[in-house]
Amino acid sequence: MAETNGAIVRVRGVHKYFRRGSERLDVLQDLTLEVPEGEYLGLMGPSGSGKTTLLNLIAGLDRPSEGEVWVGGQLISAMSEAQLARWRTRNIGFIFQFYHLLPVLSAYENVELPLLLLGLSRSERRRQVMTALELVGLADRIHHRPGQLSGGQQQRVGIARAIVTDPTLIVADEPTGDLDARSAEEILNLLDELRRSLHKTILLVTHDPRAAERADRVLHLHKGQLVEQAQ
Amino acid sequence: MKILGLILKNIGRNPLRSILTALGTMVLVFVVTMVWSVLWVLDLITAEKQENLKAIVTERWSIPSRLPFAYAAPISDGAVRQPGDIRPDDSMTWQFYLGSLDPKNLTRDSFIFAIACEPDKLGRIENGKFVTMMDGLESLSPKDQAALLEAIDRLKANRQGIILGYNHLANINRMTGDVRDVNIDQLMGKRIKLFGIGGYKGLDLEFEIVGVFPAGRYDNLGAFHRDYFNNALDQYPQTHGGRKHLLADRNLNLVWLKVPNMAAYNRVSAQIDQSPSFQDPAVKCETASSGMAAFLEPLRDLIWGARYVLAPACLITLSLVIANAISISVRERRPELAVMKVLGFRPAQILWLVLGESLLLGAGAGLASAALTYGVINWYFDGLRFPIGFLDRFYIPINALGWGAMIGAVAALVGSFVPAWTARSVKPAEVFAKVA
Repeated sequence: MAETNGAIVRVRGVHKYFRRGSERLDVLQDLTLEVPEGEYLGLMGPSGSGKTTLLNLIAGLDRPSEGEVWVGGQLISAMSEAQLARWRTRNIGFIFQFYHLLPVLSAYENVELPLLLLGLSRSERRRQVMTALELVGLADRIHHRPGQLSGGQQQRVGIARAIVTDPTLIVADEPTGDLDARSAEEILNLLDELRRSLHKTILLVTHDPRAAERADRVLHLHKGQLVEQAQ
Repeated sequence: MKILGLILKNIGRNPLRSILTALGTMVLVFVVTMVWSVLWVLDLITAEKQENLKAIVTERWSIPSRLPFAYAAPISDGAVRQPGDIRPDDSMTWQFYLGSLDPKNLTRDSFIFAIACEPDKLGRIENGKFVTMMDGLESLSPKDQAALLEAIDRLKANRQGIILGYNHLANINRMTGDVRDVNIDQLMGKRIKLFGIGGYKGLDLEFEIVGVFPAGRYDNLGAFHRDYFNNALDQYPQTHGGRKHLLADRNLNLVWLKVPNMAAYNRVSAQIDQSPSFQDPAVKCETASSGMAAFLEPLRDLIWGARYVLAPACLITLSLVIANAISISVRERRPELAVMKVLGFRPAQILWLVLGESLLLGAGAGLASAALTYGVINWYFDGLRFPIGFLDRFYIPINALGWGAMIGAVAALVGSFVPAWTARSVKPAEVFAKVA
C-alpha cells in the first residue's frame, strides 16, 4: 500500500515507448498525474498524442516502460498479467468506443460476463445485472442480442457491463465516438448520472469538446506530454 | 455451467463452419475406428496369454499342414512318454473338409468349409461350467449357449449331423429358391450333400443339418463328427477300385491343446518337439497367438501400413482440419477475446475457453461418429466383411465409443493448441489500437 493522499490514480514519471524495428517511438514522456477519488477527468489531444496509451496504463492493460502507476493504493505497474486480470475484474470498468459486446450473448449475458469471474451465486449475479441494466434504462431489453440493439443501446449495455462489478474506476475511451449526436448526448448524460449517483471516478478520453465539457477537469496531451490543464 | 454455455454459443456462432468441421471429424474418426477395430481383433488374437492358453500343433515344414491321423491321440495327450511329463488340460483335432453344394456350378456361395472334430470339443458342460475349445464361444449368452449345446447333443447322436454357420444356411436357403430371411427352424433336419472339391475331390458326404453356430465368428464354418469323416475315407477304396483317397494318410490338419500356463506350455511343447513319434512328417508346437501371427505374416505390410501410416495420417489430417477451423475462429474473434481480457479473464481461462470449444466439437463429433459406425456396421451390415485367416468379418467393439471420443478430443487438443495459445496471448492494447 502506498500513501494515496486522496488520489485514486497516481502516475509517476511514466515513460512509454514502442519499438518498430530499430526505431524507438516515444508515446508518453515523463508523465506525472494524480486523479482524486470521485473526479470526472477528461483527456483530450490529437491522434497519436498518447491518450489511449495513458488510459491503457491506468486500466492495467499495458505496462509503462519506466515509472509507476498506482490505482486505489496498488502498484499495478508491477503486477503480472494474471494479477492484473484479477485486479481489473474488481477495480476497472472499461467503456469502449465500439462497444465490443459479445455478439452471441444477450444484453443480460454480456453484462453478467465479468461477474462470472467473481464466484457469485446465480441470484446475486441476477440482482447485480438487473440493477446495472435498470441504471442504464435497458431492463426491458435483457434478452436482446447486440445485433438487435441500436448503437446507443449497445453502448448503454457496455456501460452496464462496466459498472456491474462496482469498480473503483471507470475508464471510457471515446464512448461517444461511434454515436450520432443524440445518442452521444444520452450517453454523456448517463455518465453524469452514474458519477452523481454512484460517486464513481471517471476517466474519459475524447476528441469531442462537448463530451469534455462534462468533465471536472480536462487534460490535454501533446506528443506524450501534458501540455495544458483546463478547469 | 455459464462458461460451458458460452463455449456452446461460440460453437454455434458459425453453424456452417462448425457442422463442416464436425463432419470432417466424423469421417476421419470413422476411418480410424474401422482400422482400429480390425487391428484390435488382430492384437487380441495375437496377444500372448499367460494363463489358460492354447497351443497349436501343425506340420513343421509344410503349409497347409497335413498330418497322419495316427498323430491325433499322442499329440492330444501331449506326447507323454515318461513319468513327470504333463498332459494338456484339453485338446481338439481339426480335419478340414471343403465341399460344394452343387457339383457343377462351383461358386463361392455353394462352398462349405467345415471341420471334422469330436463334438464334445465344440462345447460341453463340465463341473457345471461351459467349456469349449473354440475361440470366441467361451462367453455366449445363456440362450446361445443352450442352443449350441442342444445342437452338439444332436451331433453326438447323429454321426451324419452337421452344425453350420449362418452364412451357409443363408446360401442353402438361396439355392433352394427361398430368398427371404433364413428360417433356421425350417432348415433343421434338412439333408444336404456336399461334393468334395480341391484336395477333397471324390469325397462326397451327406449331412443332416442339426444346428447353427452362434452368429459372429463362425458364420462361414461347419463342424461335423470326425468319425464320419474318417469312415468316409476308410470306405473310399470300396467305391474307387481299391485306391485310397489322396488324403487317406494325411488328413489331420492341426491339433489344439489347452494348457494352464506358460510353464506348462513350454513343457508340453518340449515333449512334442522331442518325441521320436513325430519325425515324418515333423511337427511344430506353438502358442495360438504366435500361430496366428505366423498366419498373418503375409499381411504384415498391410497391417503395418494401416497401423502406422493410415491411422496416424487420419489423425494428423483431423488435427489440421480442427486447427484450421479454430484458427479462423480465433482470428475473427480477436477483439472479443481482448474484451474478455479487459473484463478480467485470465490468459489461462481464455486458453481453456478456446480449447474447450474444440474439445467439445472434436469429442462430440468423434463420439457421434463412433456410435454411428458401431450401429451401422454391427447392426445394419452385420459386421465389416474383411476376411483375414479364419476371421471372416469384424465387428466394431463397444470400446470404439471411447476411441471415437478420445480420437476427436486428442486431435482437437493438438489441433487447437496453437490457436488457443494465440488467443491467450492477445494483447488488448494492441488489438484496440488496431481496431481504432
